Amino acid sequence: MLTSAVATPSRSAATRPIAHRAIRCMEGISLWLAFLLMLASHSMMAEAMEAPGQSEGAGAFHFVDSEGQWQEPATLLTTEYRVTVSALIADTRLRQSFKNTSQQWREGVFVFPLPENASVYALTMTAGERVIVGEIKERAEAKRQYDQAKKEGRRAARVDQQRPNLFTTRLANIPPGETVSVELHYQQAVRYQSGEFELRLPTTLTPRYMPGAPIADGPKQWQGGWATPTTQVPDADKISPSTVLPEDVGPDSHRAKVELVISAGLPIATVTSPTHGLTSTWNGDAVTVTPNDGDILMDRDLVVRWAPVRGQEPSAAVFHEQWRGEDYLLALLVPGLAQDRQLPRELIFVIDTSGSMAGQSIRQARASLLRGLDTLGPADRFNVIQFNSQTSTLYQQAVPADSYNLDQARRYVRNLTADGGTEMASALDVALGQGGTEQGEENANGHVRQVVFITDGAVGNEAALFAKIRQQLGNSRLFTVGIGSAPNMHFMREAARYGRGTYTAISDLGDVSGPLDELFGKMQSPVLTDIQPQWPDQQAVSESFPRRTGDLFKGEPMVQVTRGRAARGELTVSGRLPAGSRWQQALDLGQAAPGKGLHRYWAREKLDSLLDTGLSGHVDEDTRQAVTTLALDHQLMTRYTSFVALDKTPVRDTSTALETEHLPTLLPAGSQPAMLRYPQTATLSPLLVALGLLGLMFSSAALMVHRRVFA
Amino acid sequence: MNRVLLLMVMMSTTVLTAGLWIPLKAVVAQELLELAWAESQARQMETRPWPWADTWPVARLSLPELGQSMIVLEGAHGESLAFGPGQVLGNAAGPGPVVIAGHRDTHFSSLRHLEQGSELKLQTRSGRWYRYRVDNVRIVDSRHERIDTSQLDDDTLLLVTCYPFDGLDNRGPLRYVVEARSGQPPVVSNERDPVQIDTVAGL
Repeated sequence: MLTSAVATPSRSAATRPIAHRAIRCMEGISLWLAFLLMLASHSMMAEAMEAPGQSEGAGAFHFVDSEGQWQEPATLLTTEYRVTVSALIADTRLRQSFKNTSQQWREGVFVFPLPENASVYALTMTAGERVIVGEIKERAEAKRQYDQAKKEGRRAARVDQQRPNLFTTRLANIPPGETVSVELHYQQAVRYQSGEFELRLPTTLTPRYMPGAPIADGPKQWQGGWATPTTQVPDADKISPSTVLPEDVGPDSHRAKVELVISAGLPIATVTSPTHGLTSTWNGDAVTVTPNDGDILMDRDLVVRWAPVRGQEPSAAVFHEQWRGEDYLLALLVPGLAQDRQLPRELIFVIDTSGSMAGQSIRQARASLLRGLDTLGPADRFNVIQFNSQTSTLYQQAVPADSYNLDQARRYVRNLTADGGTEMASALDVALGQGGTEQGEENANGHVRQVVFITDGAVGNEAALFAKIRQQLGNSRLFTVGIGSAPNMHFMREAARYGRGTYTAISDLGDVSGPLDELFGKMQSPVLTDIQPQWPDQQAVSESFPRRTGDLFKGEPMVQVTRGRAARGELTVSGRLPAGSRWQQALDLGQAAPGKGLHRYWAREKLDSLLDTGLSGHVDEDTRQAVTTLALDHQLMTRYTSFVALDKTPVRDTSTALETEHLPTLLPAGSQPAMLRYPQTATLSPLLVALGLLGLMFSSAALMVHRRVFA
Repeated sequence: MNRVLLLMVMMSTTVLTAGLWIPLKAVVAQELLELAWAESQARQMETRPWPWADTWPVARLSLPELGQSMIVLEGAHGESLAFGPGQVLGNAAGPGPVVIAGHRDTHFSSLRHLEQGSELKLQTRSGRWYRYRVDNVRIVDSRHERIDTSQLDDDTLLLVTCYPFDGLDNRGPLRYVVEARSGQPPVVSNERDPVQIDTVAGL
C-alpha cells in the first residue's frame, strides 16, 4: 500500500518531464530556427541594398563630363580685398585673379556679390606687365566693344551690374597657363548705429528662387546660370551661377585675402567679427585688421564691427570735399532718444521656410522667431506666417499674446522645416493685407502694427516685391532680419526702407541675440518721424539727398549729403516724436572735417532717388538718360553703365578656339545644396518590429532555457 | 533572472508597439485626411486635417490597377510623410512636373507592383482627374544623384520611395523612382470647369 502509493506519483512524475522536455526542445529549436531565418533574411536584404549601387548620373550638371565624372573648373579664382575706412566711407580695392590651368584659351565669367550700397568707380586689368585702365561706357556700348575685342583675340575685361549688389566680371582671352587680374575700386558708406560701426564684405550668394513661369521660347541648353529666364525674372540665367562645395573647386581657388585699415578719426576700442577670427594691430588711431587664418574661404560674408572708446561715440559729424570746383557736404546726426514707449503692438512674424533656408539658416530663423516671441507683452497681439511655395498662417487673425497662444506658437515654430520655393509675394499679401489702411500709427484696436520678416532674401524679383510693399504697407511697419551666411542685404535694406522699418542680419547661430535685441529694442522705442533738415541757404534744397529722410529708430543716425554749399552756417534738423512733441537739433557746418569720396556718395544717393521712381514699372527714357549722364559724369557703375578695359594688340590667333567658362560660386556655409534632393522615405517601423519580435523571441527562449535548467 | 526577463519582455513589447504604431498611424490618418480632403474640395481652400497640423491635403493619388487610393499631403518632411505621401514639387493643375514621395513601408509599399504602362491618376482640389502612364521605373542612389527639376518634362509625375522595399535601414541611400507621363501638357485654364467631387463630405 505504501509502496504503491509512493510508486504512482513517482511514475507520473517520470513521464511528465519527458513529454515536457520534448515540447520544450521543439519550441527551442523552432525559436532558434526563426532567429536564424531572421538573420539570414536580413543579410540577404543587406546584399540587395548594395547591388544596384552604380546608376547613371541623370542630374545634368555643368562640371560633369560625358562619362559622369566630376571635372574641376579649369579657371582658378583668387581675390583680394583691401579696404580703407576713413570715418564713414569705406573704400575698397577688389582684385580678382583668374588663372587658366587648361591648354585652351579661355573666357572667364564670374558672378559675384558686392555690398548692397557699393558704388563701383574704377576698373583696371593686369596681364603680366601690361596694365590697362578701364573706362565707363553705356552698357550696350561696353558689350559691343568687349565682344569685338574678344572676337579679335585681344584681352578684354568687362564688369556689369545685374542687381545693386550683384555683378558679373567677364575676362576674354586668358592665355593657357597664365593669370589675368581685374581690379575694381568701389566705395560704400559704413553702417553706424548705437555707437557701433559695421562693414560687411559679401563673398558669395545664396542661390535665388526665380518665381514665374519659364519663358517658353527661351533657349533650353545651359546658358551660364542654372535658372532659365521666367516671366517675372527675365534675367534669371544671369544671376544664378552654379553653386558648388569648396572641395569641388581647385585647392587654392575661391580664396580671398582681406585687409582692412580703419582710420575712424577717433580712438577705436574694439574690433570684433561674428563670422571670422580677426587680428587687429593698433597704430595710433588707425587699426589694421586681417583674418586670423590668412586667406578666407569665399563661402560666407565677412562682417567686421568696431566701436569707439566708451563715451566717445560720435553723435554728430560734418565732412566736406571739393570736387571739380564744387562743394560736397556730408552731415550725420544721432538724435538722442531715450524714453521707452509702451504702446500695445500687433506683431506679425513672417518666416521664410523655402528650400534655400535649409540647414543652418532655418535654425537661425527659428531661434530669431522664438526670441521675438519672448519680447511680447500681455497687451500685445501676434501671429506667425510661414511661406515657401505656399503661405500658411498659424492663426486666422492676430491673437492675444497670452501664455497658451505663445506656447502653441513656440511649438509651431520649433517644428518648422525648410523646403520648396520662395513665393514671397503671397506672404507679403497676407502679412500686409491684414492691416488696416487708415493713416496714423495705430490700427483700429489701438495696436501699433509691426511685421518682422525673417528671410535670406534669395529671390530674383526684388523690385516687384518692393513695389508691393510700397503699395500695400498701410499703417504697418516692416522690419527685415537677414538669415544665413550670405543673405541678400539689398533686399533687407530696401524692403525695410519701403516698409518704414529697419533691418538687421544674423551671421551665425551664436550671433542671434546681439543683432536681434538691438532690433527689438528699436521696435519698442519711440520713432522719430517727419524729419526735416533745414540747410542755411534755401536755394539748393533740390541738391540734398536722400530727398525724403525715412523715420529714425533708436540709435540710428540721420545722414544727409548735399552739393554746392560751402561749409558754413548751421544745419537744423527737426522731427516729430510719437507723443506729438517736436524734436530739434542744430549742427555747426563750420566744423566740417575733410572727407574723401563724398561726390560719389552724393551721386549714388541721387541715382538711387532717380531710380526709385522707376520701381513700380518701366523706367522712362528721361530717367534713364538722367541716370546715364550722372553715372558717366561721376564714373559710377549702374545698371545702364558698365566698365570695360580693352587691350590694343591681339594675343590670340583668331583661328584657335576660345572656350567660355562660367565660374561657380561656393555654396554658403551651413546651407544645403540647391538641386532637389531625394527625400528620406523610409520609417523605422520594420526595424522596430523586427527588434521587438527578436527581443520577444529571445526572452521567451531564455525563459524556456531558464525553466529547463532550474525546473 | 526573472526580473531581467520581465524587463526584456516589456522593452521588446514597447519597441514592437512603437514599430506597429507607425503603419497604424498611417492607416488611421488617411481616414482623417479623407474628411479634410472632402472639405478642402468643397470649400476650395487649404484645410488642415487637425488644427496643429503643419501640412494639408493637396491631391488624391489613385492606382486603379492595384485598387489603391490615397490622399497626398503638402511637403515631404517627416510630419507629412507619416500620414500620407508628400508632394515635394509642383501641382498637377499647374505648370511643371509633379514629384510625390512616400514611405516605402506604409503608403508607397505597393509601388513595387507598378510596371511600365500602369495607369496612375491624380486628382486636384478642383476635382479634376489627371491620368498618367508609367514610363519607366528605376533605382537611383541619392548620394550621387539629385532630382534636376529643370530636366523633367512638364507633364511628368515622379513617385519616389525608398529601396529596397523590405530593407530595415531607414536611412539607406537607394530610391525607387517611378516616372509617369500624362502625354498631354496640363491645361491650366481647365481649373474653372464644373466641379465634380466624387468624395462624400462627412461634414
